Amino acid sequence: MFACIYSPKITSLADFVYAFSPLVEETKPDTVVIDVEGCELLFGSAYELANEVALRAGKSEEEGGIDCQVNVAIASNPDAAIHAATLLKGITFISPGEELTCLGDFPIQTLDYCLVNTEKKQAEEIFETLRLWGVRTFRDFASLPITGVAERLGPEGIQLQQLARGQAQRHLKLKQPAPVFANSIELEHALAELEPLSFIFARLLNQLCATLNAYALATNELLVQMKLEDQTAYERRLTLPYPMRDHKVFLKLLLLDTEMHPPQAAVSAVSINCEPVKPRVLQNGLFIPLAPEPEKLELTLARLAKLVSQENVGSPELIDTHRPDAFRMKRFVLKGKPDFRKRGSGLSNWQSPIGNRQCAIGFRIFRPPLRAMVQANQGCPTQISAWSKQRSVHGRVISLAGPWRTTGDWWRTDHWARDEWDVALMGLGHESQSSALYRIYRELNNGEWFVEGSYD
Amino acid sequence: MPEYVELHARSAFSFLEGASVPEELIAACLQLEMPAMALLDRDGIYGAPRFHLAAKKNGIKAHIGAEISVQSPKSKHQSQKTNFARTAAGVSIPVLVRNRTGYQNLCRLITLMKLRTPKHAKAGECAVTPEELTVYAKGLICLTGGNDGPLGLRGVERGGRFDRGNMQRNAEWLVAVFGKGNVYAELQRHFDREEEANNQRVIEIARRTGMPLLATNGVGQATPARREVADVFTCIRNHVRLETAGRLLAGNSERYLKSGLTMLELFADLPEAIANTSTLSSRLEFTLEDLGYEFPKYPVPYGETMTSFLRKRTEEGARLRYTSNNDSSAYDRARPQIERELALIKKLKLEGYFLIVWDIVQFCRQEGILIQGRGSAANSAVCYSLGITAVDPIGMELLFERFLSEERGEWPDIDLDLPSGDQREKAIQYVYKRYGKLGAAMTANVITYRGRSAAREVGKALDFDEETLSRLSGLVHTWEWKDPKDSTERQFRDAGLDLRNPRIKKFFQLYQMVQDLPRHLGQHSGGMVICQGQLDSVVPLEPATMPGRVVVQWDKEDCADLGLIKVDLLGLGMMAVLEDSIKLIRDSYGEEVDLAHLPPDDKAVYSALQKADTIGMFQVESRAQMSCLPRLRPQKFYDIVVQVAIIRPGPIVGNMVHPYLKRRQGREAVNYPHPLLEPVLKRTLGVPLFQEQLLKMAMICADFSGGEAEELRRAFGFKRSEARMKEIEIKLRRGMQRNGLSGKAQDEIVQAITSFALYGFPESHAASFALIAYASAYLKCNYPAAFTAAILNNQPMGFYQPFTLIKDAQRHGLKILAIDITRSDWLCTIEREEEGRWRDGETAKHEHTEPYVDCQMASGLFPVSPRLSVSPSSPPLVLRLGLRYVKGLSEQSGQAIVRERATGPFAGIDDLRNRVPELRKDELRKLAAVGALNFIQASQSSTPKVQTLMPNQKELNAEPSVLETKGTNRRDALWQVERVARSAGSLYEGLLEKDGNSPLLPMTLPERMDADFRGTGLTIGKHPVAYHRAELTKLGALRALDVGKLRNGSLVRIAGWVIVRQRPGTAKGFVFLTLEDETGVSNVIITPQIFDQNRLVLVDHPFLLIEGTLQNQDNVVSVKAKYVQPLSFQVAAAPSHDFH
Repeated sequence: MFACIYSPKITSLADFVYAFSPLVEETKPDTVVIDVEGCELLFGSAYELANEVALRAGKSEEEGGIDCQVNVAIASNPDAAIHAATLLKGITFISPGEELTCLGDFPIQTLDYCLVNTEKKQAEEIFETLRLWGVRTFRDFASLPITGVAERLGPEGIQLQQLARGQAQRHLKLKQPAPVFANSIELEHALAELEPLSFIFARLLNQLCATLNAYALATNELLVQMKLEDQTAYERRLTLPYPMRDHKVFLKLLLLDTEMHPPQAAVSAVSINCEPVKPRVLQNGLFIPLAPEPEKLELTLARLAKLVSQENVGSPELIDTHRPDAFRMKRFVLKGKPDFRKRGSGLSNWQSPIGNRQCAIGFRIFRPPLRAMVQANQGCPTQISAWSKQRSVHGRVISLAGPWRTTGDWWRTDHWARDEWDVALMGLGHESQSSALYRIYRELNNGEWFVEGSYD
Repeated sequence: MPEYVELHARSAFSFLEGASVPEELIAACLQLEMPAMALLDRDGIYGAPRFHLAAKKNGIKAHIGAEISVQSPKSKHQSQKTNFARTAAGVSIPVLVRNRTGYQNLCRLITLMKLRTPKHAKAGECAVTPEELTVYAKGLICLTGGNDGPLGLRGVERGGRFDRGNMQRNAEWLVAVFGKGNVYAELQRHFDREEEANNQRVIEIARRTGMPLLATNGVGQATPARREVADVFTCIRNHVRLETAGRLLAGNSERYLKSGLTMLELFADLPEAIANTSTLSSRLEFTLEDLGYEFPKYPVPYGETMTSFLRKRTEEGARLRYTSNNDSSAYDRARPQIERELALIKKLKLEGYFLIVWDIVQFCRQEGILIQGRGSAANSAVCYSLGITAVDPIGMELLFERFLSEERGEWPDIDLDLPSGDQREKAIQYVYKRYGKLGAAMTANVITYRGRSAAREVGKALDFDEETLSRLSGLVHTWEWKDPKDSTERQFRDAGLDLRNPRIKKFFQLYQMVQDLPRHLGQHSGGMVICQGQLDSVVPLEPATMPGRVVVQWDKEDCADLGLIKVDLLGLGMMAVLEDSIKLIRDSYGEEVDLAHLPPDDKAVYSALQKADTIGMFQVESRAQMSCLPRLRPQKFYDIVVQVAIIRPGPIVGNMVHPYLKRRQGREAVNYPHPLLEPVLKRTLGVPLFQEQLLKMAMICADFSGGEAEELRRAFGFKRSEARMKEIEIKLRRGMQRNGLSGKAQDEIVQAITSFALYGFPESHAASFALIAYASAYLKCNYPAAFTAAILNNQPMGFYQPFTLIKDAQRHGLKILAIDITRSDWLCTIEREEEGRWRDGETAKHEHTEPYVDCQMASGLFPVSPRLSVSPSSPPLVLRLGLRYVKGLSEQSGQAIVRERATGPFAGIDDLRNRVPELRKDELRKLAAVGALNFIQASQSSTPKVQTLMPNQKELNAEPSVLETKGTNRRDALWQVERVARSAGSLYEGLLEKDGNSPLLPMTLPERMDADFRGTGLTIGKHPVAYHRAELTKLGALRALDVGKLRNGSLVRIAGWVIVRQRPGTAKGFVFLTLEDETGVSNVIITPQIFDQNRLVLVDHPFLLIEGTLQNQDNVVSVKAKYVQPLSFQVAAAPSHDFH
């Protein structure tokens, strides 16, 4: 016999019903079926078991219940029990052979085609045929001749009819407890130093990596959560470029990250979770030069990030826009194989910071640009004076080209508009009489001038 | 100072590559005091007419040209042969038209390119080859273009790098193709480094090859602000968002039309580049005035001229038309008018035009295709004599000048109505065949950004999510009536969108900016342009979506404006109905109906019209017409002409309807603005209703000539200009003053003309429509079976759904037979009653006319048609529904059934399946569900049933009388259909049933009705409302039949199925519903206030209960709603016909 427990309010009944039988099928989050064979010594008859399930479900969580009313149905096969529990309130007991008496008046639309693994589209087609036939209930369907149904609705129709008759026989798909890829520890005394914390991290990571190893999995994300003494929570997420499971690397990365982002108070509890993924399998080419090991590279990058901060480490990437000097930093990732075919095309070739991709000279960009004072005649700069701590640019314009105008992102609040000039400056004063080429620009929104860089 | 002329500008007619319409460009040109300008749209001259006309109006010289896409040579060998560099994407070469030869070459070049381009061509596929350009280069001036030109970076690069050799080669090739002096090195300066670097190279090459320099701005928009639209269009074109478009967008806003001074400053170092613009402009002689279009000459027999041939045909026709019954007086009256018209036709050299139209009409007559001219052509006695129109303009005293006048200097416009569908296509193909594929083409229809499409596309570019997009596009109301309180702010607020949000605000600005900008080219419904010789040398041609058709690049208005004569071959659903009816009458009634000689005073017709019993009749079936008919009570043909014309925006806006109806009912005295106008307005009781009357009023009161009067109408018409209107009004008032008309009469006349010219209806047009309306009414009243079959066979058309048409026919006593695979053709047909087997089984129950119909007949409201049988002794004719009404059944399958049936009856469903392999399983199921397989099943299942399952059907027990007879019902068929269509699988192979008897119970009546609506969208059984009558009676709802018997002002409740919803623009926000129940239709008036309170219920619910005050005036019955309630009847209802 099988018992189905259904409650639309509870999304995980499986844990609750393990108390009654280890043979549990989680049909849906709100529906579970247990095999009650052999439970007589513990709970009495199947009916008594059903009563016990319903009674205990109504109890609070402290008392081992789920604080909720559930429907329980006992039947000789799991599917009849599921239909009865889903559609009838309270406790239902279906004696073997009496399935149709109980289920017969259910509307045909409530027939759960998923139980016989029928595709939704196919089931809808069958239901449409049944609608046209005037079949409204389980009983109507059950009473159709089996050969007639087989000829017309095929094997799927027969399976559905068996379901409607409450006679479908199958084994339960037993639920296995899922492996847990998380470890946590409550500390007796709060830790304020990194060194003792590193032992805690090491212990947790060891266990975690052992679990990953056991399942031949790796992870590309670690989630570290800590409870702090001041009752606040601290959380860090370490995203890795490749799936790994080396606890030493994890530990170093975690320590570097914690050093860079220290908690605000002493730590009273630590928990580390990871998202398990398949490990990386890579075969390098015979003629491809050896690259550093990803784990070592990640550590090096983490150390660099600690030194110069996270946002200053990575690979610069040009952004596809007319906005001058637009780029972003992306995470540095080792490329598996350089694609030589892509050379000579692509974004970088079309976009040159000089603004002219046919230009052969180099351009040094001042970061940040130097704010400048410019004297102009009819809009054309004649004399420039700009300085910062590192450098200064002063001089008289002896020749110029421009303006080169770019405007854009007009639909955004941070739209831009500027005029650029390429100027040759003759140095002023005694120290320098030599000339140099600079690019200066004027923000059209506020009229401010800047020196953007110099040409080599 | 040298004068600058912009010689390279794109308009929005470059479709998503330009952001301003030609008129905007010209307006900017005018503002900048530029003497000339050139429009070079991408691969077309779509915008050229509008550009030319706008320029002409403002005294600016409009140069024409285009940017021609040129393919890269396919192979290195070809490249060497042409010496044109091989590049990845091909180039775009801007060309300007120097003379007419150049224009013709340009048109041919574009036609060549377009006609061979596949429908979904990839970028670069739509291009000419370098060789073709060489052939058609004469008369064209070439510019070297911008970045994508032959000397631009993209045109000369190789492997992503600039290639000087390519540049030199291309320059030399251009000079070789177009000739020395005809290639200008184009320089554009948009403050871009790379562009300027290239400019320097172009200058160098130009100096070397001797090409003159030419400054242009590569204009894409009239003003800098329009750059935003250009960017949005770039996104739409490339299917990207603004955020992700990157460098596809413009780098700055510099591609706007710049003044000469600005350009002079930009090219201060190259003054000759500026000077050359005006020099080149002076070299470009061609304008669209010099189109070279010639209407084809009609081939006349040896010894004849077109004039003499036309005269002979006209005289022959006139004798035939005007001398029937040996009465020559009509002919004598017509003669002078015909002479006058022929003289004018000769003077304007229009003989060819009339003969060609006559030729099309003759072809249709020979092919048995119904054809009738309408519109202002019906004012011409020559057209009437030639058989082009069917209205006698002499008898009806119509004004010829409305059609043709010397002063106007325009081509006449003849619209020909043809039966929609294959017959019309036959006529169109005849014109193609006669004048050649390149001698005739349909006019285009420029589809513009409007409403929801504009909102969606702009919203997508701004990267709004799907939900917001739906909300934004939902804001664009399509109701005809626009609530004055509906400000944009309010609409946005109601939709939960804040206009203060910068993105929403930007959306709104952009949405307004893209309104009415061209989106793509469509095909006009019927306008054909014909040309003497090659039409492709007058205007470029393109393939239409429909196979076998080509379209010109200009729309109807542009063609008319440039003097291209078009003949409109319009498809009219009712013409197809008339034609089909005549065939059906011939086959089933054995009578020949000649539409030209219908009895003029058929009592049944006028009786039906007076009672507004007009469902299915042409032009008089709408709700508004129905509410007017009992007041107007037509008694003669002219009343129908008035009826057709009176329910139009003109008379309604001009407040002419009520005065006319009051005068007609004798409730108001007939008077005239001035005694002089009595002859003109007498027929319409002193109320001007037609455009011709306005023309005559102007002629009589102000001594206008016919042409001047027509000019006046046009000035006040759609394209009205304030200045022109003022000018003509002064002239009109002066004339009236001269004739002694007082100030009040003057005001009255001017007021009538002002409001009327915009929406007015020509009397000739109304008369042409009235003829068709009368014919449809005559056929409906006298041959209901044929008319109903024909109208059902031509759906969708008209005002009502097939369900309503069928219920109306049943109310008039016509029996409708169900779809039956052993009897039905693809189309609906007519049978004699004993021929069918309709008395058997289920069908018999369906087809029995139900008791309530008898009640209707007894009331006399819907008379049984006298012609339901051929003769009193013969059995009545009944209508058999065709297989086309089975939803989801393909015509191919339907026709295959009919074809196979002709070889022998089907022995069973198995046999049907075997013999008609085209039938899919779902089609078989659909046929079975609507009862079409019942008779095939009857022959098969004659053996008694061995078992019947499902015995506990309470609802069936409750209504035993309506059970279908076993063995001949739809469920049997459904049971069998599933078997023939599916295998049981190997497991059950040995267990297959032997007899195939169905264990299913037959459908009940409500089930059958449901199956009917799901499967065919109609039912020939009880009306859905009839099933709920008892329930409705308890609620106090009256039947439609009973409502009219109550007195005016009573409080009533009615209920029914909403078949029409209307919110006309002229009704000040009022909504009109038509409710149908088993006894007929009721009209409901919803005030704006009630509508606002019940908007969702009124718009969405198919069944409504309405309580309100009965308005019963002059037998026009309607209920003014006070309370609206939805009824939850479960029917898979056919949708209503909503005009909102």
